[in-house]
Amino acid sequence: MLDRLVARAAQLPSYGELRWHANHSSRLMMRKGVLLANGRSRDGGVSARLYHNGAFGFAAAPADDEATLAAVIATAKDNAEFAGGASAAALSTAAGGGAYDYRSKRAPLSAEQRVEIVRRLDEAIRARYPGLVNVDIALSSHASEKILANSDGAATYSYVPRAALVVSMSVAANDGIVELYDILGGFGEIEDQSFDEATLAPWLEELHEHLRRKAEGGQCEAGDHDVVLDSALAGILAHEAIGHTCEADLVLAGSVAGDNLGLQVASEKITLGDYGGRGPDGKSSFAIHVDDEGTPCRDVAIIENGVLKNFLHNKRTAQMLGAEPAGNARAFSFQDEPLVRMRNTCIAKGNDKLSDMIGAIERGYYLKRSTNGQADATSEFMFGVNCGYEIRDGKLGRAIRDTTISGVAFDMLKSVTHVGDDFRWAAGGGWCGKKQPIAVGMGGPSIKCRVTLGGRG
Amino acid sequence: MSAPSNDFLDQILARAKDAGATAAQTLTSRMRYFEMEFDHRSVDLVRSTENETTTITLFRDGKRGSATLNGRQPEEVAAAIQAAATAAAAGVADPANDIADAPSLPPGDHGPAAPDRAAMRAQVDEFLASLPSRHPLLRLRDSLYTFTDQETEFANSRGLRQRERRGRHGYRAMFMAKDGPLTTSFNAVGGSSFSPFPSLYEAAGVGRLMAECERSLQRRPVAGKFVGDVIITPHCLTGLMPSIAGALSGQALLAGSSPYKDKRGERIASPLFSLDNAPRSEDFAEGSDFDEFGVPTRDLPIIEDGVLKDFLIGYFFSRKLGMPQTAGVRNSRVRPGETSLADMIAGVKRGILFSRFSGGAPNDNLDFSGIAKNSFYIEDGEVRHASSETMVSGNFQQLLQDIHAVSKEVVNFGDCAYPFVAASGVTISSK
Repeated sequence: MLDRLVARAAQLPSYGELRWHANHSSRLMMRKGVLLANGRSRDGGVSARLYHNGAFGFAAAPADDEATLAAVIATAKDNAEFAGGASAAALSTAAGGGAYDYRSKRAPLSAEQRVEIVRRLDEAIRARYPGLVNVDIALSSHASEKILANSDGAATYSYVPRAALVVSMSVAANDGIVELYDILGGFGEIEDQSFDEATLAPWLEELHEHLRRKAEGGQCEAGDHDVVLDSALAGILAHEAIGHTCEADLVLAGSVAGDNLGLQVASEKITLGDYGGRGPDGKSSFAIHVDDEGTPCRDVAIIENGVLKNFLHNKRTAQMLGAEPAGNARAFSFQDEPLVRMRNTCIAKGNDKLSDMIGAIERGYYLKRSTNGQADATSEFMFGVNCGYEIRDGKLGRAIRDTTISGVAFDMLKSVTHVGDDFRWAAGGGWCGKKQPIAVGMGGPSIKCRVTLGGRG
Repeated sequence: MSAPSNDFLDQILARAKDAGATAAQTLTSRMRYFEMEFDHRSVDLVRSTENETTTITLFRDGKRGSATLNGRQPEEVAAAIQAAATAAAAGVADPANDIADAPSLPPGDHGPAAPDRAAMRAQVDEFLASLPSRHPLLRLRDSLYTFTDQETEFANSRGLRQRERRGRHGYRAMFMAKDGPLTTSFNAVGGSSFSPFPSLYEAAGVGRLMAECERSLQRRPVAGKFVGDVIITPHCLTGLMPSIAGALSGQALLAGSSPYKDKRGERIASPLFSLDNAPRSEDFAEGSDFDEFGVPTRDLPIIEDGVLKDFLIGYFFSRKLGMPQTAGVRNSRVRPGETSLADMIAGVKRGILFSRFSGGAPNDNLDFSGIAKNSFYIEDGEVRHASSETMVSGNFQQLLQDIHAVSKEVVNFGDCAYPFVAASGVTISSK
């Protein structure tokens, strides 16, 4: 297939990419012992994207024979001409290559073995914790397989899998149902993960203990507070608070990051980057070496010692802002065009101890786990928090119920006083939504800062 | 690409039986999609795609397994049938696992079969040409004018057959305002319609939001913390209603986590609030004639004058819970009230016009907290200023009870339709 795409790409009438792309996924979902989802899916096909007079034409179809390939190229050409832009300068010609196959070398688990993981876990949880109102268990996998060639000579293959196990428990409290979930897993296929009893038992015990304390806890007090963000939250902070604001398509639209390049936007303790490969330590939940425009991936320093240094680009935004693309153009499926996306985004670890951070707060909160998040052009971010504790006089107090934290990133990051010597990639990997969903890696250390909390307390 | 056909589905059902299925069903969806993407300056992408997705579900001795593929390559179809059979064999038996027995409907045909691309392009060009004079500070990105032609076909081994086709136009505008160093939050609105939108300034109520966006450059936090009123806009409700519908779903009833699990026939909302599920309504371009089990959909009241009339229960959960099936598809419609938006605002002592919720997903108890984005502070019946860094916290169970006005004005998004809803008792706070 790669040879066919390379041959066709060399004959494209203008700059363009050809991509064969298939997503392979599986999902088992059990609720209270009832298997609600038990299946797999595959979605694949070919696409062509052509650049003409400053605009793109794109076409895709769910087959990969020569006739289909010729048809999508012709339709993409027609679409590019229909887009009808004005003449524009040429795009970057950096061309990546290589094969990056992260398929598991272990024997795949059978359908029976996968169901058995979920069934036995469900039985064990309900036997060990009989007071639960509900138990949800989801075991899922996703792999993105791509073959890409462009008219500048890029030619690459990749297969990038990851898998996640999610357990959610609910219990009845005095004022209603209280729920908590956690995620295990990350890079690789299901058979590459440690879902054995020895790994799961202490993990479940910790999850249940946090749930028990959360049920006995209360609403947090709305307003501005000193907080310690656990390293489990640092990734979503890097992604939502900074990463999105520094995507060059948002900058071109008017994001405040555009007014702050070269300026101090954070404490000198903050260094934040977006990385190719599997991140600076090679342990992220996601891998990328060549993006979906064929650009080889380079690391991007977004913030260095508190100073905003760079934005994230595709070929088009790099051309418009006079930068070099570093491999941030990514597409979710064969039907999707590449967009400016993050890859492995993280805050670099510092030298501070988590215990010192908690000890430094007289009245505030220790926030341990996040749910969903959102960014904004103003750099005002938010993310949900489903597990946390009060801090009173430097010690952890009662648990808090679900809340949301927010802040203006370029203000909040200046309030950072401590950056932890710990570091963690978000478990199970993260997904980001921006016209298309996309797999991302995100991580960082514990951080002490000041944010706004929602709540009725 | 060939159109869906009974032959293709019948072949799948026959091969499923050969693979050991005691029952089987298959759902095929063929889609042709056309999109123009533009920012505030020009069209930057024209995209057209085709796809055909088929989900095959096999039942074997009370167990269920499924596989989804796209295209019709014979080896992929064979692999999917085998994968579904293997999954079913490995599954967990449940008496609720079965295919449906329901009447086959005449084929449905809704909306135009193809887009008028030139006319759509002319609309976008007119919109972009007039934007600088109408909204000089507005910046758009990733805005879309689309057309989707979708054929869906269902068959099961009990002889149930369904087919429908829907052709619809879609629109999404994502925008912000910028004036020198002043920047507003992004706002986004989307909707769908069988017909082309008469104006890209008025589709899905976007005109009001664009005007509000330009008035939001100067904004500040709402002072302090107080319990006040919120006027929830139709656009904000699109983000909030799925949580309430989720709490009324069969999934939540099975979990035992729904606060409404024992509330059928009881008042769970203000008498001013009525919610319908309306998948058959011709108002909704994104409705459905039948659900994923091939069961014909129907419109019915869910909450009527504040009283919970029915849950949203699909085929599997109706069997599992021993309750009647009411819904396999959700298209929510909150019935309009008798108050104008202007009168609602005039009636607020202190509160906000709550335009977008950006917050953590509400929990099972329907507690919520998040930022009130693109929103405005109201005091003594007047909109005072755009808000920033302002959070709202409350509980949807209580909020539904505390509704004191529902507007005459309604926005139809193509898959749901909502009025403005005014409620009291929400905690509003800032830094």
